[in-house]
Amino acid sequence: MLNLNAWKPVTAVLLRELAVTLALLFGVSLVIFLILYAAPGDPFAALLGGRMLSDSERAAAYEALGISQSWYGQYLSWLGKLLVGDFGVSMRSGQPVTQEIMASGGRTLFLTLGSLVVTLAVAVPIGVYAALQPGGRRAWALTMVAYLISALPTFWIGYLVIYLFTSQFGMLPILSGVGEPQPYEWLYVLLPVLVLGLGNGAFAEVVRYVREETGRVLGEEYVRTARAKGAAAWRHVYKEGLLLPVAEIIASKMPFVLGGAIIVEQVFNWPGMGRLAWQAAQDRDFPVILAITLIAAVVVRLGSLLHRMVYVAVNPRASHE
Amino acid sequence: MSHYHQPHDTVSEYSDIRSWRSAPLIDRVYVGYGLAVVVLVVLSYLLGMFGWLPSDPDDMDLANMLAGPLTEGHLFGTDYMGRDLQTRLILGIQAYFLPGLLSIVIALVLGAALGVLAGYRGGRSETAVTYVTNLVDALPRLVLMLLVIAAFKPGIYTIMVVLGLTSAPTVAMLVQGKILMLRQRNFIESAVALGISPARIILKHILWYNCRALLLIQATLGMAEAVLLETSLSYLGFGVQEPTPSWGNMVQAGANYLLQGNFWVSTAPALAILFTVLGFHLLGDGLNNMFEGKRQR
Repeated sequence: MLNLNAWKPVTAVLLRELAVTLALLFGVSLVIFLILYAAPGDPFAALLGGRMLSDSERAAAYEALGISQSWYGQYLSWLGKLLVGDFGVSMRSGQPVTQEIMASGGRTLFLTLGSLVVTLAVAVPIGVYAALQPGGRRAWALTMVAYLISALPTFWIGYLVIYLFTSQFGMLPILSGVGEPQPYEWLYVLLPVLVLGLGNGAFAEVVRYVREETGRVLGEEYVRTARAKGAAAWRHVYKEGLLLPVAEIIASKMPFVLGGAIIVEQVFNWPGMGRLAWQAAQDRDFPVILAITLIAAVVVRLGSLLHRMVYVAVNPRASHE
Repeated sequence: MSHYHQPHDTVSEYSDIRSWRSAPLIDRVYVGYGLAVVVLVVLSYLLGMFGWLPSDPDDMDLANMLAGPLTEGHLFGTDYMGRDLQTRLILGIQAYFLPGLLSIVIALVLGAALGVLAGYRGGRSETAVTYVTNLVDALPRLVLMLLVIAAFKPGIYTIMVVLGLTSAPTVAMLVQGKILMLRQRNFIESAVALGISPARIILKHILWYNCRALLLIQATLGMAEAVLLETSLSYLGFGVQEPTPSWGNMVQAGANYLLQGNFWVSTAPALAILFTVLGFHLLGDGLNNMFEGKRQR
């Protein structure tokens, strides 16, 4: 599949990209911290039954709890704890945030990765088919269906699917992914994955991008020449026209998948990180929402990292860019 | 302009655009449909603004609850409280139209400025703009919105300002790419050699002559983005609250009835979202093919 020699530049690029990623995540942590720092309200006011603190009282309270009064002091202490995996304590539940995220993160990981698999398994064949038959009616119809499904609101698709499976096919209502085992439970678990995989905007984007890129590479003159003299052009077309665009689109659609997960978890009552984030936004639970935002950024950057590595593996010259 | 005539064959992107007539049928259909949606949305917005509505949005027709479309007196049917769906769909546009325009303006102005900074000045500015772009791209929009909501409990305008700010980098990258392309063709060099002031080169020759199509396309996509964000947030309960209608909270409020088999209450606003978002997307797509010539089908 991939040339072994091609992996040498990949390691070099990996190190460089890791450095870039760290610099970016540092920036992200600073930005999201500052947003919450600028938020109105004073956590200490809650301790005193809503009474506003005088400046000297606040200084004393900060002093007593060992909290820095400057924003950068608070940021650095937050960052320091974060680096050892301590995200603080949830304001709502009193539980450590790390624990809450561990409990819900696996479900979201399953949901998002599963939906990516679904998206690729359905969208890539449609895209390639459309690229092989430019102007074909069937290919156009499939592309149009993909567009339509993607433009429908994900939450509505979710409700429709729930309705079909409960009322029409006579299955029990979907519970929250935990609880008593039920017949067809595996199916309930698959429904949100399918809805996120097909109903999210990323689906149509993958179809469109694969169609464009595979079509473009197939139309290149050197590919035509290679085919004309009987050389196997498929390997090149596969790498340049399929592997690369797929890696790129996954990287760029990662944020959409994570955003879609928030909606889908809400529809299906799926107790993952999306619902945790929603709850945290309701309750102004700053430690939880900070942690989730940061984790989401890490996941997005991992997607970009993967894309860069595939890019360099396919095209080793790029490592010198 | 008196001392400088643009040599059409070398520098203008517009010498080789295909006109409306020579565009492929499919693109004309896309753009035609998209424009129809734009007209319908603007008209409905104005109707809602001036209150020229088919009926009172809070008026409950208790004899006709959960009526389907084409019911007498309710062209689009009624919801679970017997309120006229057509009226509420029209009013739902108020929830996103002006805020969406605001986010588009912010995205375009800021994006163009950053793009010019990166592409025209290059060097450190370019590095800085690239860094900011990657930083914004690393934050999933909906997650960031939840963070902003947790921090400020903001109204829709603040949310759309944030949407505009986070959309600006995409515009910036496109403008920068355009400028790089113009540089390769010695367009900027020749403009400088002709003694045109940098401000004029940037505003007139780069942004107006060469980026206006790109900016227009980004504007249509931005509106689709705004509709999706507003409906998603209203669905999640952070946007417009009942009884004020928004397409998002209409889908959400109707969901329970959908699960009982009363499809229409929830489906009508969902279809409104579908046709609107599709319209703005296809408009952007068709314009892209016509002006930027990205694809030959």
